[in-house]
Amino acid sequence: MDLDALTGCLTTSACLVTQTTSGLIIGMLLFLVAVGLTLIFGVLKVVNFSHGAFYMFGAYFAMTTYQLSGSFALAMLAGAVGTAIIGLIFERGFMSRVYGRDVLMQLLVCYAFVLIFDDVVRMVWGPEFKSMGMPSAFQVMPLFIAGGVVPPYYLLLIGVALVAALVLGLGLARTRIGKVIRAAAHNPGMVSALGINTGLIYGGVFALGGGLAGLAGALAAPVRSLTPGMGFSVLIESFIVTVIGGMGSILGALVGALLIGLIRSFGSLGFPLFTEGLMYLFMVIVLVSRPSGLFGKEVA
Amino acid sequence: MSELQAGQGAALNISDAKSTRYRDVIIALIAFVVLALLPMLTSSKFLLDFVIRCSAYGLFATSLNLLVGYTGLTSFGHGMFFGLGAYGYGLIMQKTGVPIPVAFVATLLITFVFATVIGAICVRLKEIYFAFVTLAFQMLIHSTILSWVSFTGGDQGLRGGIPRPPFLGIDLSNHLHLYIFSCALLVIGLLLMRQIAQSPFGYTLRMIRDNATRASFVGIDVYRAKLTIFVLAALFASVGGMIMALFVSGAYPEFAYWTISGEGIFINMLGGVTTFLGPMVGTVLLLILNDTVTRLTEYHGIVLGIVILFFAIGLRKGLMDFVFEWYAQRRDAARERG
Amino acid sequence: MLEIRDLAKSFGGVKATDNVSLDFADGSLTAVIGPNGAGKSTFFNLITGALRPDAGTIKLDGVDLAGRSPPEIVRHGIGRAFQVASIFPSLTVEETMLAAVGADLRRAGVLHRRFPLGETRDRAEQAMELLGLANKRRRTAATLSHGDQKLLDIALALVLDPKVLLLDEPTAGMGTEERWRMIDKVRELWERQKITVVFIEHDMDIVFKIAPEIVVLCYGRILAKGTPDAIRRNQDVIDAYLGTEHHAGAHA
Repeated sequence: MDLDALTGCLTTSACLVTQTTSGLIIGMLLFLVAVGLTLIFGVLKVVNFSHGAFYMFGAYFAMTTYQLSGSFALAMLAGAVGTAIIGLIFERGFMSRVYGRDVLMQLLVCYAFVLIFDDVVRMVWGPEFKSMGMPSAFQVMPLFIAGGVVPPYYLLLIGVALVAALVLGLGLARTRIGKVIRAAAHNPGMVSALGINTGLIYGGVFALGGGLAGLAGALAAPVRSLTPGMGFSVLIESFIVTVIGGMGSILGALVGALLIGLIRSFGSLGFPLFTEGLMYLFMVIVLVSRPSGLFGKEVA
Repeated sequence: MSELQAGQGAALNISDAKSTRYRDVIIALIAFVVLALLPMLTSSKFLLDFVIRCSAYGLFATSLNLLVGYTGLTSFGHGMFFGLGAYGYGLIMQKTGVPIPVAFVATLLITFVFATVIGAICVRLKEIYFAFVTLAFQMLIHSTILSWVSFTGGDQGLRGGIPRPPFLGIDLSNHLHLYIFSCALLVIGLLLMRQIAQSPFGYTLRMIRDNATRASFVGIDVYRAKLTIFVLAALFASVGGMIMALFVSGAYPEFAYWTISGEGIFINMLGGVTTFLGPMVGTVLLLILNDTVTRLTEYHGIVLGIVILFFAIGLRKGLMDFVFEWYAQRRDAARERG
Repeated sequence: MLEIRDLAKSFGGVKATDNVSLDFADGSLTAVIGPNGAGKSTFFNLITGALRPDAGTIKLDGVDLAGRSPPEIVRHGIGRAFQVASIFPSLTVEETMLAAVGADLRRAGVLHRRFPLGETRDRAEQAMELLGLANKRRRTAATLSHGDQKLLDIALALVLDPKVLLLDEPTAGMGTEERWRMIDKVRELWERQKITVVFIEHDMDIVFKIAPEIVVLCYGRILAKGTPDAIRRNQDVIDAYLGTEHHAGAHA
């Protein structure tokens, strides 16, 4: 434990800014993964245990696209769209066969794909750590905000995630498709009674959720090292985020993700050995005091 | 209603109840004698090692079945107690040098404390939350092992060997002694778990699995019953971990990693949970599968994944479930003819 | 004697049970009627502990049970059966009964003996005989007919030797003939066991025929209570309930 470092940081504006930005990028990446998880759960009532693999695919797709084309924008697009397609195939081909069955079966199917996807990555890209490298456009002087160092890429990352959150929130609230998705979350029978193809909705939601996780992976690629299995810890953290925020709640995912991000970045100063533990501790406190999460509906 | 259910619909009457216990004890004794005689028939160290590994994983998987199959508690973090057993035992032996039985009991006590605290938080949660929060605790224990390098050796694991001082004439550094000792633990463990499954408490668990609300209106304290079986199952998983630590004379972070839980769930699926010994069959199958696949390809996740999909989507049940159904059908057909 | 005083429960501003006070004498047979959404099931859920009351007392033989957990309330002698048969699908009829008696004898946590316990045999046997399920003892509950599942549900409540038995629509989902058979069974149980029985029923013909006491609930309040004759003549009941529902109910 190193509480002096923590209080020292909290009283220095430079350190405060640096740690907050690093907390924000952790939080934003987690949000993109968690919001897909929570959306899929809300509509399909399954927890996509292989969601972390989509994050991993997003990162690898982005890296390869960037190496081949040199275009950062294309790399982000490849990360999101590529994983969305995998998500669609995964849902239509496999997950759709275990809806309404034991949770155990759903977990097993996802578990199988976690194993398969990790090995596919190992086959195609190799087992060693990879790095995409910072795109040249962002290899510029970092910004100094109140004495704190903030790499410009961090700002882009936070911006993209925020835009994604806004588009998603507004899309669900305002558009026709959004309304259908929300209706499907409440009452799947009613949607099919209205003559809307639920298979299409389910596939679409899975693709959307997968694509968001892929986008998160792509955004993370320049600042994280890539390795098979990199998705798993992200999955667990996103799950913790959804538990804290409340399953099925998008606002909950945002708040939960930011809280976890900040806990991680400031916790690493005060409790370097127990940073993960802090996160779990926080989850347990929320679970015990509010079992359905901060923004969850009563008795989900 | 759950698709995976253990021990359903067996005929019964009171006098049976007593004789089944004798029958179980006799079967266990025969199994132990057969296993103990094995080293006389073969000198294959590989085969004996295989049986030791089966003991470790078999106890773990069968204890998981008490949760998944009998109680309907889908734990995805049961492997944490396997890891806890291995590390608890290894650390106690390395740091204190107490006799092996003392370390065993102490490890069980540690597991008991952990399982009680974690269970108290988890068992009140609904299905999917329960699965993931148990998984989260597993990851917490795993990451603690990784980061607390000075105590646990971090990602290198507990190295330098675990001392195995002889006790009561048993010398576990002798391979044959270790083998017999593991077999004994396996047989005793299975017998105890069988007793739990067939006890009145075992039927309380079945009631909770089938319909927890109704169980509470019959006067059962569902929370307490779930917590009890959670802790009991953890103790058996911990014994499995201790056997593993004895076998490899060390403990590694993989023992506490979530994939152990995943494998445990898969073993249950593979063998089927309709019968008490299904997980044991599953253990043997998975270990054979693992050994074969590992020899053939380095991508053993793909092969294992495809096998899991074959069972989960294709067959929709485990092997022993098939045998059980086939047997039930034949029995019914015979009854109709008679 | 079951005494309920000022029992209240709201769901987000809607008063599902609104200051209900009622006495059920030992050995009485009472029907609870009322239009859909009158709060009948909520009333049962409050008494049995499935829901926690906002206010009020529920005294059985002087002991206040309000707000206690279902297992505690069951142990104090209030048993219940459900509208949709609530059973243990994978257990056989016999296992269900034996296990329930075991739970009642506080043997649910016993680890060192084998199931079934000898001391549970007689009571389980009696309950199966009483409900006419003895010849189906080896059948798993899931394979029973709808009617038998309802009987099993009642047997599950009865086998615990309750002082008060609450039956939530024992005839729900049954054809006319089956209904009468079921209600005859209920009446027979009441007469033989000498326990307090309270049941919810929609079929007015049945209610007026067999229930000596009737309670009418409407919007969570007691609209009327009394003998079938008194209820038939009660102007409030006719206005609020029978006038519209009776004829509609007769067709359903």
